[in-house]
Amino acid sequence: MANSTKYWKGLEQLNEDPQFVEASKNEFPEHLPTDAFLGDQEVLENSTTTRRDFLKFLGFGVAAASLAACETPVTKAIPYLNKPEEIIPGQANYYASTFYDGHDYCPVLVKTREGRPIFVKGNTSSSLTNGEINARVNASVLSLYDNNRLKSPLINGKEASWSDIDSALTKEIKGAKNLRVLSSTLMSPSTKEILSSLSNKEQEIVAEEGTVVENKNIIVEYDAISYSGILDANNESFGKRVIPTYNFANAKTIVSIGADFISGWLDAMQYSTGYTNRRSPEGEWMSKHYQFEANMSLTGTNADVRVPVKPSEYGAVVATIYNVVAAKVGGSQVKVGTINKIVAAKASSAAESLLENKGASLVVCGSNDKNVQVLVNGLNNMLGNYGKTIDINKTSHSKNGSDIAVAELIKEMESGKVDVLLIYGADPVYTLGEKFEKAMEKVKTTVSFATKLNDTAAKCKYVCPDNHWLESWNDVNPVDGHYSLAQPTISPLFDTRQAQESILKWTGNQSSYYNYLKGYWEKTLFPTSGSLMFSDFWNKTLHDGVYEAPTSEVVSELSFMADVNSAAEKVAKSTSAGVELVLYINETAGNGNSSDNPILQELPDPVTKITWDNYVTMNPSEMKEKGFNTILGQESPANLVSVTANGTTIELPVVAQPGQAKGTIAIALGYGKKVGKMTGVTGKNAFPLAGYDKNGVVSYYTNAELNSISGLYPIAATQTHQTVMGRDSVVRETTLDVFKKGNKNEYNPAHTLAAHEDGKSVQKEIQEFDLWNAHPVKEIGHRWGMSIDMNLCTGCGACITACNIENNIPVVGKDEVRRGREMHWLRIDRYYSSEHEPLGAIGDTHKNTMEISEKGGIAAYSEMENPADNPRVVHQPMMCQHCNHAGCETVCPVAATTHSNEGLNMMAYNRCIGTRYCANNCAYKVRRFNWFNYIAYKKFTDVNPAQDDLGRMVLNPDVVVRARGVMEKCSFCVQGIQAAKLQAKKEGRPVKDEEVQSACSSACGSGAIKFGDLNDKNSQVRAGMDNDRAYRVIEEVGQDPNVYYQVKVRNLKENEA
Amino acid sequence: MHKEAAIREPLVLGNDVTYSKITNDVLAPIEGKTTKGWKILMTIASIVALWGIGNILYLLGVGIGSWGLNKTVGWAWDITNFVWWVGIGHAGTLISAVLLLFRQKWRMAINRPAEAMTIFAVFMAGLFPMIHMGRIWMAYWVLPLPNQFGSLWVNFNSPLLWDVFAISTYLSVSLVFWYIGLIPDFATIRDRAKKPVPKLMYSLLSFGWTGNAKAWQRFEEVSLVLAGLATPLVFSVHSIVSMDFATSVIPGWHTTIFPPYFVAGAVFSGFAMVQTLMLIVRKVMHLEQYVTIKHIEYMNIIIIVTGSIVGVAYLTELFVSWYSGVEYESYAFINRFSGPYWWSYWAMMTCNVVSPHLFWVKKWRTNLTFTFIMSIVVNIGMWFERFVIIVTSVHRDYVPSSWSMFYPTWVDIGVFIGTLGLFSVFYLLFLRYFPVLAFNEVKTILKSSGEKYKNMSDEDFHKLHPVKK
Repeated sequence: MANSTKYWKGLEQLNEDPQFVEASKNEFPEHLPTDAFLGDQEVLENSTTTRRDFLKFLGFGVAAASLAACETPVTKAIPYLNKPEEIIPGQANYYASTFYDGHDYCPVLVKTREGRPIFVKGNTSSSLTNGEINARVNASVLSLYDNNRLKSPLINGKEASWSDIDSALTKEIKGAKNLRVLSSTLMSPSTKEILSSLSNKEQEIVAEEGTVVENKNIIVEYDAISYSGILDANNESFGKRVIPTYNFANAKTIVSIGADFISGWLDAMQYSTGYTNRRSPEGEWMSKHYQFEANMSLTGTNADVRVPVKPSEYGAVVATIYNVVAAKVGGSQVKVGTINKIVAAKASSAAESLLENKGASLVVCGSNDKNVQVLVNGLNNMLGNYGKTIDINKTSHSKNGSDIAVAELIKEMESGKVDVLLIYGADPVYTLGEKFEKAMEKVKTTVSFATKLNDTAAKCKYVCPDNHWLESWNDVNPVDGHYSLAQPTISPLFDTRQAQESILKWTGNQSSYYNYLKGYWEKTLFPTSGSLMFSDFWNKTLHDGVYEAPTSEVVSELSFMADVNSAAEKVAKSTSAGVELVLYINETAGNGNSSDNPILQELPDPVTKITWDNYVTMNPSEMKEKGFNTILGQESPANLVSVTANGTTIELPVVAQPGQAKGTIAIALGYGKKVGKMTGVTGKNAFPLAGYDKNGVVSYYTNAELNSISGLYPIAATQTHQTVMGRDSVVRETTLDVFKKGNKNEYNPAHTLAAHEDGKSVQKEIQEFDLWNAHPVKEIGHRWGMSIDMNLCTGCGACITACNIENNIPVVGKDEVRRGREMHWLRIDRYYSSEHEPLGAIGDTHKNTMEISEKGGIAAYSEMENPADNPRVVHQPMMCQHCNHAGCETVCPVAATTHSNEGLNMMAYNRCIGTRYCANNCAYKVRRFNWFNYIAYKKFTDVNPAQDDLGRMVLNPDVVVRARGVMEKCSFCVQGIQAAKLQAKKEGRPVKDEEVQSACSSACGSGAIKFGDLNDKNSQVRAGMDNDRAYRVIEEVGQDPNVYYQVKVRNLKENEA
Repeated sequence: MHKEAAIREPLVLGNDVTYSKITNDVLAPIEGKTTKGWKILMTIASIVALWGIGNILYLLGVGIGSWGLNKTVGWAWDITNFVWWVGIGHAGTLISAVLLLFRQKWRMAINRPAEAMTIFAVFMAGLFPMIHMGRIWMAYWVLPLPNQFGSLWVNFNSPLLWDVFAISTYLSVSLVFWYIGLIPDFATIRDRAKKPVPKLMYSLLSFGWTGNAKAWQRFEEVSLVLAGLATPLVFSVHSIVSMDFATSVIPGWHTTIFPPYFVAGAVFSGFAMVQTLMLIVRKVMHLEQYVTIKHIEYMNIIIIVTGSIVGVAYLTELFVSWYSGVEYESYAFINRFSGPYWWSYWAMMTCNVVSPHLFWVKKWRTNLTFTFIMSIVVNIGMWFERFVIIVTSVHRDYVPSSWSMFYPTWVDIGVFIGTLGLFSVFYLLFLRYFPVLAFNEVKTILKSSGEKYKNMSDEDFHKLHPVKK
């Protein structure tokens, strides 16, 4: 029963009062005071906001507010208010400039993007270097963005303002009684003039006091690596204290005794260009290079004949050669010191070769002993090399320091005579050590111009940070008649000021250095140019970067006036006791200027392939006798030894160096700065081990004591296997004799495979075997490729740093390199020969294997792992071979690596999921995996500049920075290819040969690496590919690479060891 | 007196075995209380598993660099473990599918635990290709999914992609096969369960199994169909895994012998693992009457056979490397036995080639302790086999400048040990909550009308089958 009872609120409802019924239809029976809160009736009536709209707005508001509450990344890109005329976003500008740091001189082109210098390459306009560059110059662009640079001047170690500095130093300099400038060799003529302006004042003061005016130059030039010996020997021989220019390109026979002339010795970059010019077997002639040396230098690795010699016998080697030559040309015999018989025999054969090429030969020696250098001068003079391969009239200015002058300066400082000392471009506390530091304490006012706090600057009262070279104006006069300009490519990043400008200010000259420089050039060089307007001359020089003044051929008659016999007498006295220590400089640290550059630290030493450290090198068989570990690896650390020489002891790991002369050890200089070094840099300072004679002349060869100490030291090497294991598909080499016979099959046979045809076995070339649908790249469109001439490659490593900087390759630090995880896209494989690999044993691989197993069986393989006592060395640049039938491409499950129709093996980082299958299946092992997040992970904060806001500025905006977990590898600098193609397209023409350069090919001064279009029949790479010496590494695997190597030819007779 | 032919020994031993005893025996751990031993084992396994998970999380957080890999050796323990686990995961399906097709009734006592092992092992195996990726968050890109990346598709040429299909197919078919077999057993548990929660759970798991004749008929048909499906998979999975190596260019990997050799190796290691597990299970759970010495011996015979195949494969590899005259190939093998990793090669040779032949001696192959030790040895050997193939091939390949060594880090080790723990956790859960033997199937091989009944006194008979009053 339904309940039908109804309830009512009032009588109105019960009675269904019409008024009530009407009112009940309203939701709100009573009038709501909406007007009161909705305001103006008129506005409200005109508005169309309904309740639903209100809710929509509310919803949107809440959503927007909550979205806005999420953090949005702050982007700091600020557009130009007024766009500078020459800057087009996305387009690089190049400026000619010059690198000179007291050690390396290099005219360069600086690439800038949106006002940031990001890359440096050699300037081909210079006839001195011809575009040659080295790793240190390359990597120096990174030091611009170094957060450890001095950001403001310091007084007594505290930050100060430039006005404080200026007022204090103006006064100090004015009141100076005996002011001295200690500078690295001054190659800048204008700077020299500015510094000399300090001198005039000094003389006035001295004259006032009535003391003797010696008219002494207040500028003491000092080279961290001294060449006093050569300078003084030339003074003695020719009456000129100069470094001559050496013309290696004219030398048919080159004999070097301990001179690492393509890497560390004098103007190595200039010599290297000349040297490699004559190292191609296809040229008119190929030079023959003998190297007598103790440690395996980069030059030694390139020699045709390399003889390990103790440094104490260097003099005897020179004397032996001298005597053989003298006997032929009718000179008098000189005294020869003790010499090993085998070495003497080699020296005689070198002498024979020199005699064959009289007037077209060259003898150089790395010794800093004046007497040895006098003998060398005498020898070159007898051979008639002066004026042919050595020009004493056209001198090099790169090294001018005098050890004797420096020793005198220290004495003066010690006696308290010097009251103001300006130090420019040198770090003497680091290189000269304690004695300089103590002497400095006696000097009232010390001023340093270091860009970065160093061992010396830390002890100076005033530190007036100089601009980085990329922020500076400068001029350089490296060789008589050759000038080059440096121009700033960015405004100073910090509160720094150029040293020249500071000195101008302190001496009361109100002109800026820029105006001073222009004035100086207008005064001195403009008249020689023949231009009508100075502005034309200036702009052209600034544009070209270099200026070569017309030379006036004033050839003064050469007269050799040194006493060779007495020099030989003194040389013959050289004795050997204990172990002989050689201090050398390598490609990575140089003289110490670049020791805190992470890219350089991670660059493997071209010979040992060790990164991040210096160490003692020693002959492996001697190490075995002493029980030292000769095989390095991730978990196979080096033994520690202590080396004592000249009263200093340092502890370093000892590393096997095949080819090191027995009884000698060697240590690289340039490591172990105490102040201002970046964290993570290791190594010890070996400068204090150098010997000094009573006049203060330094010797880098010294007797030392080597003691084993307990402890192991991890070493990070990028290559731990040293030999090529008889694999002539990897490395092919032959002798010039065989090559000249012209039978390609003898030195570069094609790979063949047996096939069955009509029941017979026939050998067919491997190209005929193919499982693939070939990528149609041959003779269609572009086919980018590379040609690498192993004869021209010296192994210097400039290509590696260039690649690193161009492609934003992360620096991973010592520990990761030790674990075999360096990220270098390009490496240079260095192979030593073993006793089982005689030169010229080239045939087909199969035969070789049979021979090996017949001779020694399986044991031969393990013996082949050991380098020979004095091995031949091969340098082989190795990067992605861009195989047309690439193993990596087929195995990627997500097709992240694919082939372009221009022959490029491409990597789509965004698609990569990181299975590493491609790296495993790469026969060349050139793929690199991002094991960590290098740009953020804490392990890399100290080493990877890209973790720092400032350091990141060096990154190339054209190349993406790779994420964790993706594979990367050489792209053939595809960004450059694209840019060049676009340019050509815009101009409606085909891409020209050599228009496209990879970073490595542009850094390769010797022209060993050529990049270009293999389909362009007239291109240089095509010529390399069609060359008889051309082969492809492990071609028989059938991956059809696009990189062609040329067989290494040594200038040897067939049976000459 | 009539004479009966001497027939095969019964597969289930003991005079006291009845249908109900089988049910009671198998269901004892499920229906009984959790034992102390299980708790202890579970605790240990959980700790190890958590340790492994911790290591995996660390790996995912930091990057693949926390492993010991380098520019030359891009795979080491990760893929070694992957192949090892996949190999172990082979025995289960072989036992249940192949032996079913061949009507090998003895398989019934071991197929369930072996299949469980297979599934858990494949879980562990599948983990490695996932975590070995540099960017695991993009792992789904290996699936051919329609996408918005343009025409971007997977690379069907890549053996890794084949792996994805092979492993996932194998896992799903094995899982279905295993589950179908479990349904009648779950139904029995459901019927006997007293507490509501287990009853609900097992009734859900048993899919409403009624046990009528039609259901049994369908059950058998499905089993046969699935066995037919699974059999080729037994051979395909490891063949495809082997192609990861065989299709590459790396000397030591690039070998046509790999597919059969890998399959034999997988069966070899799988049976060894079954032995390891069964010897423990039968002891702890008192299943000696069902899993008999006969079973152990049969499995040992399979180990001899597959071990011999593996041994022949090793020797063939050596012969071919010499006979081919390919420098790299021959060096790869010289390096294996005389290079820096010689110890792993000889560990492999000893464990896999020499040790199985000890089973020719009947006394030894029927000895439980000896079998147990051997089963462990074989699995160590098979782990080394994968390590030898993967690491010693790639650490010294074509270009000697890149030759290097591989050293595992604690993360490498932790992840591997962790998977052992995780596997044990799964297996212990299986032992506790799942019927460990396919008891409904075992009942079909019980000789219920055998000697026992014939020679039984009435008294005994009535004791066994009391008449209801």
